[in-house]
Amino acid sequence: MKLYDYILSPSCYKVRLMAALTGVKLELRPVDFHPGAEHRGPELLALNPAGSIPILEDGDLLLTESSAILVYLAAQAAPEWLAGSKPEEAARVQQWLSFSGRLTASLGGARLHEMLLRPGDIGALQAQGIAALRELEAGLFEQAQRGKRFLAADRPTVADIACFPYVALAPDGGVSLDPYPTIRLWSRAVRALEGFIEMPGIHRLHELKPEPTVETGDA
Amino acid sequence: MRSDTTGSWTPVALSRDLPAGTVIPARIPAGPIALWRSESGCPTASANRCPHRGMSLSHGFVRGEALSCVYHGWSYAKAGNCLRIPAHPGLTPPEAIRVKTYAVEETGGVIWVAMGEPSSSPMKLEGLLALRSLTAHAGIAAIEAAAGAKAGPEGLVEPAEGTEAICLLLSAQENGETLIHVLLRGEAGPAARIAASRAAESLRRKAEDLQKKGIAQ
Repeated sequence: MKLYDYILSPSCYKVRLMAALTGVKLELRPVDFHPGAEHRGPELLALNPAGSIPILEDGDLLLTESSAILVYLAAQAAPEWLAGSKPEEAARVQQWLSFSGRLTASLGGARLHEMLLRPGDIGALQAQGIAALRELEAGLFEQAQRGKRFLAADRPTVADIACFPYVALAPDGGVSLDPYPTIRLWSRAVRALEGFIEMPGIHRLHELKPEPTVETGDA
Repeated sequence: MRSDTTGSWTPVALSRDLPAGTVIPARIPAGPIALWRSESGCPTASANRCPHRGMSLSHGFVRGEALSCVYHGWSYAKAGNCLRIPAHPGLTPPEAIRVKTYAVEETGGVIWVAMGEPSSSPMKLEGLLALRSLTAHAGIAAIEAAAGAKAGPEGLVEPAEGTEAICLLLSAQENGETLIHVLLRGEAGPAARIAASRAAESLRRKAEDLQKKGIAQ
């Protein structure tokens, strides 16, 4: 499987993360998103007229939209990451997959404004981002009362991977994560998953590895 | 609420939001702190600045009984002294390298931090379940107006009407924001806890609306 990828893109990271968590091997094809705007060039527009990345190529199959790609990877390699047969769980997965689009528009928009100087009303983007974080915080709190540590179930699903990156990178857009204790616990739970990988701005939990030791002598 | 906060307790977070082996950012009137809990369960409040390069220690991590800075791994004990400098593994860090620490008490599911030497223990929250913390873009006056009740000397608001039997423990933050710890009366199952959380969200909306309209200045 070939992923048209940009290292700093949270949406591309969703796909890399999902693949790492489910043991899928990806061939990465780096896209010069910035400053080259290669995603809006003729070669990539021929693959995806929307001019967005990620794009996933698997043989004859061409997929766009990160949520769709997450579902494809999960269905291929790890169906337990999809909703089970319970109606509420199926609905919750869809709810948070849809919600992840609002995270991209608000927190992602603020991040592009602050990091790549994209035009936009930064105050409005940040306010929409805060509203979305409050909704996520309340949703996760309510799930915890129902005995569920993740967005749709007591196990992680594609919905958690769809929401995690833009939330974790909110400070890049000038939106603090300090006021959200339940999001903080959830973010730790995601980063504690076996096979978790980092991206610039999202680090692993260092405490999960033993303390590194160095040969003493010439300190 | 008291204006002179030296020696008095600030409710900074709920116990449930600080599991063993974690660090979170918090705030007391003296400024930001790194609030952390060691593997053995002991809570510590450290000044949020690594003496090495000034990195926020709340970005760091807890291993065993020490807090480590995420930048270069300098680690600190509960007393604030530096335990280890990874780039100089043979060096015993000098006593002069230390982060300031503050008194911490944990009672009724709430973690309290004091500046200076407090003369008494933090208030008891008997019969109250610590539910969740949320931040409002509103001052204490607006929250009091929304709740229809005044805060007591330690920041406890008991709303007049029976709004799901919630009480609010308030702590003023910077930028006119207020940290609200939501407390619930008596034993409550999941449905009651969810209803109380939603009631608190409604109250926050009301307070922020009042704040925006400038009614409660």
